[in-house]
Amino acid sequence: MDNLQELLHGFTIAVTVPHLVLMVVGVLLGILVGVLPGLGAPNGVSLLLPLTFGMQPVSAIILLSSMYWGALFGGSVTSILFNIPGEPSSVATTFDGYPMARDGRPTTALATAFGSAAFGALVGVILITFLASWVAQAALAFGPAEYFAVYFLAFASFVGMGGAAPIKTVVALALGFAIAAIGIDTVSGSVRLTMGVDELVKGVSFVVAVMGLFGIGELLVAVEEEFHARAVSSKIDWREVFRAVGRLPRHGVALLRSAAIGCWMGITPGGPTAASFMSYGIARRFSRRGRHFGTGEVEGIVSPETADHAAGTSALLPMLSLGIPGSATAAVMMGGLMIWGLNPGPMLFVDQKDFVWGLIASMYVGNIVAVALVLLTVPVFAALMRIPFVVIAPLIVIICVVGAYSVSNSYLDVVMMLGFGVVGYLFKKLFYPLAPLVLAIVIGDKAEDAFRQSMLISKGSLGIFFANKLVTCLILGGIALLLLPLLLQLPRLWRKPASPATDAPVQERAII
Amino acid sequence: MISRRTLELATAVLTGSFGVAVVVSSLDNGIGWSSAGVDAGTFPFLTGIIVVLGSLYNLVRGVVPAATLASVPIAITSIELRRLVGLFVPAAIFVAAIPLAGMYVASALYVFAVLAIPRHQSVPRALAMAGATALALYLVFERMFQVSLPRGALASALGF
Repeated sequence: MDNLQELLHGFTIAVTVPHLVLMVVGVLLGILVGVLPGLGAPNGVSLLLPLTFGMQPVSAIILLSSMYWGALFGGSVTSILFNIPGEPSSVATTFDGYPMARDGRPTTALATAFGSAAFGALVGVILITFLASWVAQAALAFGPAEYFAVYFLAFASFVGMGGAAPIKTVVALALGFAIAAIGIDTVSGSVRLTMGVDELVKGVSFVVAVMGLFGIGELLVAVEEEFHARAVSSKIDWREVFRAVGRLPRHGVALLRSAAIGCWMGITPGGPTAASFMSYGIARRFSRRGRHFGTGEVEGIVSPETADHAAGTSALLPMLSLGIPGSATAAVMMGGLMIWGLNPGPMLFVDQKDFVWGLIASMYVGNIVAVALVLLTVPVFAALMRIPFVVIAPLIVIICVVGAYSVSNSYLDVVMMLGFGVVGYLFKKLFYPLAPLVLAIVIGDKAEDAFRQSMLISKGSLGIFFANKLVTCLILGGIALLLLPLLLQLPRLWRKPASPATDAPVQERAII
Repeated sequence: MISRRTLELATAVLTGSFGVAVVVSSLDNGIGWSSAGVDAGTFPFLTGIIVVLGSLYNLVRGVVPAATLASVPIAITSIELRRLVGLFVPAAIFVAAIPLAGMYVASALYVFAVLAIPRHQSVPRALAMAGATALALYLVFERMFQVSLPRGALASALGF
C-alpha cells in the first residue's frame, strides 16, 4: 500500500490554499477556453505555459491540469446548450445532449453529463494511482531500444485506432517528426532542415504549432458556419441536478464500459475525441434503447462523456510514467515538464515524488472543484456565448498571436503560427488528425534519440529491436497496429458493393 | 466554391512539397551510417520519404474519389469562402503590420477595423473595444507577466 501512503502525502501538497486557488483559476480559465469555439484545451494550456516558468513545477502542473479538466467540462456545456461543441472531444455529446436540452430538460442533460464525466475522470485517476508507479517501475529497466519500441507502439496505435484515415495519420505523424527535427540536432550538433532561414536554428516550438493548428485552424472552421447561439434555457434547477446524478447508477453498465473504453484510448494514445466517438458508437449498438439514440437518450450522454473524461485523465498516465503523452493536451503539458527542467518518464517517480503525487492528488481534488464550478458558472458562460462571433474571433486571433510571440519573443514564430493555422484548417476540413502531429512535434526528438542510441549500441543492426521478448513484443504489437486498418479493409474487398458510408473513418462519418 | 477534390489535391501537394524539401535538405546532413553512429540526416530523410509517399497516396485518392468523397463534393461554398477570407485576410494584415506598428497599435487597429468597417459595431463602441484590447494586453503582459511585446519600428522611430 505504498501508493496510498504516497497519495496521502500528495494530498498534503495539493490541498493547500495556494494550490486550491490555482485549481479554481485553472478550472475557470479551462471552462472559458472550453466554451469559446476557437480556443481549446491544447492551446489554452500552451497559452498559460510561458506564464508558469517562474512557478514551482508542482504548482505549474496543477494549474495546467486543472485548466485541462475545466476545458473538458466547458466543452460539454456548449455542446448541450447550444449544439456547438466547444471541444472536438465533445462533438459526440451534442448528439443526445442537445436534443434533451431542447426538449426542456437542460439541467438533466448537464447534470447527467457532468456526473458521468466525473465518474470517468475518477476511474482514470484511480487507474493512474495504482498503475502509474508500477508502469514506471517496469520502465526503469528500459534501454533505448525498449523506449523506441514504446514510442513506435504509441505512434502505431494512432494509425491503427485513431479513427482517421490511416495514411492521413501517417502523413500527419511524419510531418510532426520532420518539424521536430528542424534546428540543432542534439546528438551531432549539426543544424538541420533550416532551409536557409537562420532563425530556424532554435527549432519550431510546439506551442507555436498548437496555437496555429488548434487556435487559428479551429477559428477558420468555426467562421464558415455562422452559427447562431440558439440557446435553450441555461437556468440550473438544483434539485434536478441531484435527481439526475442519483439516476446515474441505473446506467452502471454503460458507465463502466465507457470508462474502460476511455481509459484504453487514453493510455494508448487514441485520445479523448476518438474515445468519445467510439464509446457512443458502441453504446448505440449494444443499448436496448439504441434506436432512440439521437433523440435525447440518457445513455447517449453518459457514454461519450464518461469516455471523454476517462481518456483525458488517463492520458496523463503514459506521460508521467513513460514520457509519452496520450493526447494533444498531455503532449503540451509534457512539453511544459521539459521546459521546467523535469524529465518526463519513470525517473519522475524516483526523483520527483512530490511532483508526481501532488499532481495525482490534485486530480482528485481538481475534478471535484471542476464539477462544482462548472455547475455554478453555467449561466455565466452561457451568457458569454451570446457575444457575437465577429467580436470574439479577432480577440482569439490576437491571443494566439501574442501567445506565439511570447514563447521566445520572435516575430518569425507569429508568421509560422499563421501558417500552421492554414494547415490546421486544411487538416480539419479533410479529416487529417491533428493530435498525432502535435505529439510527434513534442516527442519526435526523443524518439529519434532513442533510435540512434539503440543503433549505436547495436552498431547499426536492426536486430536490437528483436533482442529480447519485451522489445520484440512491443515492436510486433506496433506492426500489428499499423497493419490493422489494412486487415480491416480485406473483408470489404470480398463483399465489394458495400454501402459507401461504411468506408468513411469514424469521425468523418459522425461529422457528415 | 472549392470542391473537396481540389482541397484534397492542394493539401496533398502542400504536404508532399514539404516532404520533398525535407528529403533534399536532410541530404546535406548525410544519411546512413558513419563512425559517429546514425547520421544526422537519416531520421529526417526517412520521415521526408514517408511524407512524400503518403502525400502521393492521398493525391491519388483525391483524384480518384472514393464513394465517400463523392457524397460531399463541395468542401467550401462561396459564402463560406467569403467568411473565411473575411477572417483570414485581416488577420494576415494584422500580423504583417506588427513589425512596423508594434503589437499594441496593430492589435487596436485590427480590432477597430474588423468591427467598424463591416459595421458590426458602431464606431465609438469599436474604438472603445480597440482601446480596451491594447490596454488589456499591456496590463497582462507588460505588467503582470513582464513579457515585453514588440513596439514596432514606428514607435522606436518616434523615440518610445
